[in-house]
Amino acid sequence: MSTPFIAELSRRNVFKVAFVYIVGAALLYWLAVVAGTQLELPWWFPRLVGILFVVGFVPALIFAWVYEITPYGLKKAVDVDQTQSIVFKTGQKLNASLAVLVVLAAVAMIADRLLPELAVVEPPPFVFDAPTGPNVPEEIRSFTLDNGLKIIVWPDHDIPNVVMYNFVRVGGRNEYPGITGLSHFFEHMMFNGSSNLEPGEFDRIMEAAGGANNAYTSNDVTVYQDWFPKSAIRTIFELEADRLDNLAFDPDVVESERGVVQSERRSSVDDDNSGLLYEQVMASAYLAHPYRYPVLGWPSDIENWTVEDLEDFHRTYYAPNNCVMVFTGDVTPEEIYSLAEEFFAGIPAEDPPKAVTTVEPEQLGVRRLLIESPTQTPLLHIAFHAGRASDPETLAMNMLLEIIVGGDSSRLHRLLVEELEIATYVGAFHHEGFDPSTVYFYLGLRSGVDPARAESELFAALDAIVAEGVTEAELDKARNIMLADFWRAMATIDGKASALGDFEVFHGSYERLFDRSDAVDAVSTEDLRTAAADVFRINNATIGVLQAAAQEGKE
Amino acid sequence: MKCLPVLGFVLLSFVAHAQSVTLPPSERVVLDNGVVLILNEKDDVPLVYIDLLIRGGALGDPDGKDGVSSLLASLLEKGAGERGSAEFAETVAAVGGRLSTSANRENINVWGNFLSRDTDLMIELIADMLMRPALDADEFERLRARQIDVIRSAKDSDFGRLMPIYAEAFLFGDHAYAASVSGSESSLEAIRHQDVLDYYEQQVGADRMIVAVSGDFDAANMRASLEAAFGEWRPASAELPQAEATAPQVGTRVLLIDKPDATQTYFWIGNVGVARSYPQRADLNLANTVFGGRFTSMLNTALRVESGLTYGARSRLSRNLKPGSLGISSYTETSSTVEAIDMALGVLATFHAEGVGEEMLESAKNYIMGQFPDNLETGSQLADTFAQIEFYGLDSGYIDGYGEAIAAATTESVAAVIDAVYPKEDDLVFVLLGNAEQIRESVQKYGPVTEVSITEPSFAIAQSLDESPDESSGD
Repeated sequence: MSTPFIAELSRRNVFKVAFVYIVGAALLYWLAVVAGTQLELPWWFPRLVGILFVVGFVPALIFAWVYEITPYGLKKAVDVDQTQSIVFKTGQKLNASLAVLVVLAAVAMIADRLLPELAVVEPPPFVFDAPTGPNVPEEIRSFTLDNGLKIIVWPDHDIPNVVMYNFVRVGGRNEYPGITGLSHFFEHMMFNGSSNLEPGEFDRIMEAAGGANNAYTSNDVTVYQDWFPKSAIRTIFELEADRLDNLAFDPDVVESERGVVQSERRSSVDDDNSGLLYEQVMASAYLAHPYRYPVLGWPSDIENWTVEDLEDFHRTYYAPNNCVMVFTGDVTPEEIYSLAEEFFAGIPAEDPPKAVTTVEPEQLGVRRLLIESPTQTPLLHIAFHAGRASDPETLAMNMLLEIIVGGDSSRLHRLLVEELEIATYVGAFHHEGFDPSTVYFYLGLRSGVDPARAESELFAALDAIVAEGVTEAELDKARNIMLADFWRAMATIDGKASALGDFEVFHGSYERLFDRSDAVDAVSTEDLRTAAADVFRINNATIGVLQAAAQEGKE
Repeated sequence: MKCLPVLGFVLLSFVAHAQSVTLPPSERVVLDNGVVLILNEKDDVPLVYIDLLIRGGALGDPDGKDGVSSLLASLLEKGAGERGSAEFAETVAAVGGRLSTSANRENINVWGNFLSRDTDLMIELIADMLMRPALDADEFERLRARQIDVIRSAKDSDFGRLMPIYAEAFLFGDHAYAASVSGSESSLEAIRHQDVLDYYEQQVGADRMIVAVSGDFDAANMRASLEAAFGEWRPASAELPQAEATAPQVGTRVLLIDKPDATQTYFWIGNVGVARSYPQRADLNLANTVFGGRFTSMLNTALRVESGLTYGARSRLSRNLKPGSLGISSYTETSSTVEAIDMALGVLATFHAEGVGEEMLESAKNYIMGQFPDNLETGSQLADTFAQIEFYGLDSGYIDGYGEAIAAATTESVAAVIDAVYPKEDDLVFVLLGNAEQIRESVQKYGPVTEVSITEPSFAIAQSLDESPDESSGD
């Protein structure tokens, strides 16, 4: 490089200005941090100061180059008669300033080291809610930020890892024609870039810090999960806060992601008979309530929703007051609290989303549907309308389902799979949602079996329970299965996070998880019979069959 | 607003944490009859887990009768000791227990999980299953007929389950690893009750059993109970079957499985990989993490994140006592079949040409070690880990030394493993399941095509006689 240029830089004191600027800026930044803490200024104040200094650096140097101080004031350097220049004197002044600043900076550093208690005001005391229930582990803590974000923390130092679940109260039930599947698509977009991070960066940063993540969408909620080493906790907060606050939608990414979801749909619905039948049965079981929409969405909606739809959706549902976060693992409530204050407190609350008010009208008679598909093994699915997650009868129904389909000793497995040999499998689940939902039976039938026969055997078995109830031995079995399953869930920090969030969101409080054992003991055989009688009625059923089109004679 | 500070911090925080994870203490005992016991006390929850392996597995299935060991494993649950089939199942469930059996390529696995208070019952049930099974003929017939329909049902709509079966059948050809562990419609038709009785007599016994337990129990009591239960058991009567090591395939060939109503093409592309004992395991796991082992892997980034061609793409190794399969798997809409496969091949070529860069290696190290503790959290995972270590002849260094080995890997050591283990594009086996009519022509460019219908009752692929690749041409 040209030495004359560097000499001229030096002559015009550009280097000295740079030094003075850097030391001065560092000192003022430190003062901003101290002042920010002392005066309880917003968290971004010192950062703003820092950014301004960084941004101002180059302009300051250009300024030093272009202008020169003369006895007549500031003039452009090129306009100054070199013989009259006082740059040397200015240089001396800069030297003196530098020396003073260095001394001040040294004093500041020492003060910072020696007097931290004097310099920093204690953060506001942590306002934790300790558990109140008698069975709740006493180390669990919860708190709610001013913006409505509720956070539950369960420390467990068994392994050096942490699990985060973020339950967002939005799912298929918040959709309508035109945007069916948007909750699920949105879940995909939550990994696809913000105003700070390019698409793909979220995952790259998280995985590079040792973390992994996933998410799922149901008819009721969208749940985000992170599994990470303790060392990554700050990165996780940064990433989670960033996508809650600054999510952005790159139109190219939106288009590409439609393809991903269509592929997901083809493998789990179009090429999966069971997924296909489920979708059709649910769409038929509900006339009015949005539980009728598939979580993945109808294909035409996947193709047609817009970036504006996504933006509205984010504003409405991805507000802190619509989320519950759970942290379990190698953390303390104090560190989660202070990270939450730092990263989440600045995200504004929004008006609560519009309530879903549609109530499914009473079903007036059995509904049937048939899908003809080239298949060797027919399928039979039956959906009964039942209660919501928080209804008291729901526990009895779940225990009843253990007796009916839970494992090789269950009534229907014994009957349909082992004795009659008309099914390869039989299962059922209670879809537990915010609104009254379904108890759903799914059977894979043996090749050549007439689905009507399986249907009548299944109803005969259910009718027997309505008429005669279950035995005490069966009730005890259900109790033991639920007890053992509780401990299985408690064996991992993931199981703990999932269960706490589930009970907080669907049952009103995470503490209810720990009442479960007593509640299970209180359920009687009569409760189970009543639950069966309320639900297992033919007029309350939607029956779906998938089988090959009839060709040759039957049987 | 938070942009600069956030990114600055994120970058600074990328310091490798080779968090060391070690196996908890355990006690290993070998009984006189050869049974190996491994005990690990863990009392965080009132549960006990047992993981039990009998060496042999599907390797012991007679020729043409794939699925014998699998049927035997299922039959063990259908009545044992004093209890009939229904009563046995009822006894397990009545106390909230879980018990399951399965056959694998090289072992039969019995897995149990009970509340600690029912530990004695668990041992009694498992000892009955293994040493006093009913092996009832009617139950056998029921299981066999049902298993045939389970396979038909998978052919109707569970391609994820079928693809590995077809892939290994086509890749391994005549080798023992080609067999379908759960059998095929035709092999199950051929199996008789006596085959299962013979297998039990010849291949199930104390000399080839490993019992790992972890959970809330007293080790001394547990040891005494297991010794009492299994200490007197007989050995199996026949030699333990072993697979030969097989070299990677040379050349390319294509299997096209026709499923006319499929909307997507499901594909697997691979070759023979490595055995469990492969010494550069850390380098290989780093390589595979980057290539196709996590969400941001090269494959998933190309086929999903950047192009939207699929919901997922990945690479997987199956590491047996001898080298197993190594392959890329994904699926895409029928019309984009060639585009997606070409893209996967392009990623493979890039992987070979460029290896894993410094920054990416650091990321993979952090990822593997960050996720590693999650694999050793529960009694179930620990029992399984102890059993696997014993089964594959490894030692505690397999876990305890893993962090160090990961930390020690370099871009050069990983590049060497990529070169040695991952197939080049000239030596690839392609398995495609989809609508053959739509893609038959276009996939010929990958190699000679063998086409079968999905309704074909056997998974064994008659290697197209005229085009079978020259196996003797070697490396």
